[in-house]
Amino acid sequence: MKTLMKSVVGVLASYAVAVGMAGAQVFPSRTVELMVAFPPGGSTDVGARIVAAIAEKHLGQPMIVVNKGGAGGQVGWTDLARRKPDGYFIGYLNLPATNTVILDPERKAIFDADAFVPIINQVLDPGVVWVRADSPYKSLKDLVDAARKAPNTIRTATTGILSDDHLAILMLEEAAPGAVFRIVHLDGNATQVKEIMGGNIDVAFDNVGGIAPRVRSGEVRALVVLDTERSKFMPAVPTSKELGHPTVISNSTRGIAGPKGMPAPVVAKLADVLKKAMEDPDHIAKLEASGLGVKIMVGAEYERYYRETHEKAKKYVEWAKTRPQR
Amino acid sequence: MDSVTHLLSGFAAALSPAYLAYAFAGCVFGTLIGVLPGLGPSAGTAILIPLTFKLDPTGAIIMLAAIYYGAMYGGTITSVLINVPGEAASVITCLDGHQMAKQGRGGTALGIAAIGSFIGGLVASIALALIAAPLARLALKFGPPEFFALMLLGLCLVSGLAGRSLAAALLMTVLGLLISMIGIDPVRGAPRFAFGIADLYDGLGIVPVVMGLFGIAEILITAEQPVREIIRARLSNLLPSRDEWRRSWGAIWRGTGIGFGLGLIPGIGAIVPTFMAYILEKRLSKTPERFGQGAIEGVAAPETANNAYANAAMVPFLTLGIPSSPTIAVLMGAFIVNGLTPGPFLFQERPDLVWTVIASFFVGNVILLVLNLPLVGLWAKILHVPFRYLAVGVLVFCVLGAYSLQQSAFDVWVMIGFGVIGYGFRKLDLPLAPLVLGLILGPALERSLRTSLEMSAGEYSIFFTRPLCLGLLIASAAVLVVAALKLAPKQLRQA
Repeated sequence: MKTLMKSVVGVLASYAVAVGMAGAQVFPSRTVELMVAFPPGGSTDVGARIVAAIAEKHLGQPMIVVNKGGAGGQVGWTDLARRKPDGYFIGYLNLPATNTVILDPERKAIFDADAFVPIINQVLDPGVVWVRADSPYKSLKDLVDAARKAPNTIRTATTGILSDDHLAILMLEEAAPGAVFRIVHLDGNATQVKEIMGGNIDVAFDNVGGIAPRVRSGEVRALVVLDTERSKFMPAVPTSKELGHPTVISNSTRGIAGPKGMPAPVVAKLADVLKKAMEDPDHIAKLEASGLGVKIMVGAEYERYYRETHEKAKKYVEWAKTRPQR
Repeated sequence: MDSVTHLLSGFAAALSPAYLAYAFAGCVFGTLIGVLPGLGPSAGTAILIPLTFKLDPTGAIIMLAAIYYGAMYGGTITSVLINVPGEAASVITCLDGHQMAKQGRGGTALGIAAIGSFIGGLVASIALALIAAPLARLALKFGPPEFFALMLLGLCLVSGLAGRSLAAALLMTVLGLLISMIGIDPVRGAPRFAFGIADLYDGLGIVPVVMGLFGIAEILITAEQPVREIIRARLSNLLPSRDEWRRSWGAIWRGTGIGFGLGLIPGIGAIVPTFMAYILEKRLSKTPERFGQGAIEGVAAPETANNAYANAAMVPFLTLGIPSSPTIAVLMGAFIVNGLTPGPFLFQERPDLVWTVIASFFVGNVILLVLNLPLVGLWAKILHVPFRYLAVGVLVFCVLGAYSLQQSAFDVWVMIGFGVIGYGFRKLDLPLAPLVLGLILGPALERSLRTSLEMSAGEYSIFFTRPLCLGLLIASAAVLVVAALKLAPKQLRQA
């Protein structure tokens, strides 16, 4: 027993020493946590795990991915905004979802657009509409016609309320008057796949990254990519612009930010390390292998993009709040 | 025939010294993770992913999978010895496992858990190898309404059979559900019962609550007894007696069935199968009053279900690419980082890898048994430590565990608070299992209810027009009615 007590005391003492020294050392002196505001397995999560694995080599400390899913990301962003701005807890912002959470008064978000310091953007992922391979909807036209013929019957999944996918459904309803979808809010891409495969949902609005491998394997069919240019991950799929809906443009970006008030050298260090990791050919190859297009935006450029997205999202949130059936 | 050939070559690879070593290391790490209450299997696996970067993909995945089911077993050890579940799936094992330890049968409890886990894991692996793909497709029919009904059935079963009073059990279930609603609403994102306190936005953590209700309350209860006999666990009684074998045998097979069946459905989580298996044994038992007093079936069934679940949950993952638990999602991350996309095409593109991994599940289960049976004696020795020292050790262990979850002192206070509450409940003879299940299932129950109603545009008929869902709802109602009749006063029953 005595030796056990001794070792317990020893462990506690060394822990105290480690904590005491942390303040004096150069950032980072311990593990950096990288928060993902969605459950594990989605495309933000995959991208985070790939970049973290490479970044920790440049960082000299472990970088671990922490999933804080729920409420379309709000659980995670609330946590991020509340954390100590010391650079040891940073996390993903998923634009425009982060913006819509701030803009929706019902959410009572305890953070605003100024709560985060954007560090670096990693991915830009266009929206896509997909169905099961044996679905009767062969094209976007089939889907829109069906939604006009029998409004509010086609069970259409988002990846969360006021996500970019939710807004994209509203954009399509606006661009194709008379078409009404029955919107079902699921909690992410993995759940969408499960429910579509199980026949509980008819159509999914999602992003290219989450579903590209299954489109290529023929397991599911993509009807349209919500972009102005074809995606290199599914070049056979037409864009919404080609199909005559140039206003239905939707994407989600994933970038890394920290709580406001982080010391400038810490932000600079993180931006530097993460930029190196994201420019690593291994990172780009692995992301592209899982259908994610890398788009690096650092510092002021990412900050500007963040503010612009926030302004644009204001209009869509208004639509979402005034739509009768939700 | 094809899969048998593949499996045999998989075995040849899995039994190579390097892969054996990875599986062994994974089992050891996993057991340690399971023993530490703050570190659950998913966090533990995630932290250890970087360890595997130096390995080839097959070796990395073998090791991570071994960590995963090693952790499932490790949680049992603390449940039995000190009434602190090492991870959520071991909560129900506390009820009878710790009672057995108090009676000097702690070694037997750990022994039967190891044997049950072995059988459950092995049978689930065989089923995985033989009939995985078609079953996984079928399990996907299980949509949000069925999910809701299954969760409800779980709550009704536990409420109806947990305690001596139906009213008390229902009260505790509802209390658990209420506690689970604290924090941000999982669908619309509005904060509830948070009173502007930032720490409450994430809700109350399951681990600190459960550690408090079981571990801390246990210390308080024991401390008020003037003299506590030192528990004597003899090494000789690691293996169950003939009578205990007889009791456990059926429980192990039923636990395997429940664990495997529920493991095929993505999103169920490891805890539901353990509760279901426990309740089923209690229901089938001729002497249900022994449950909670150290019934060996009460350890054998959930521990078996737990491991059968862990192996079966690999089925939707390997065949469809759908991760069915946070731990498996972490594994999926490891696959993708290593350039592999789980799903139907993985079997065609990399049969060597898939079948080696499946073969390694068999090997891993054997390693876990070999590793754990001799260690059981060592673990059981902890019970020889006089209570006044043990209590302090357990307290330190719990506080460190709660704090290590997210380095938050708030979690430590939650644990202590629920320790006091749990002590009160024990004094009042209110059952804890319904509260824990309500707390854990609450968010999934709410989400599946609301998703179902979105699917039907608000029509409640969705719950009655789907046969499987309707069947589960009828079963839930029947459970409550039967429980009410059984527990009603005599004159009412005769009327």
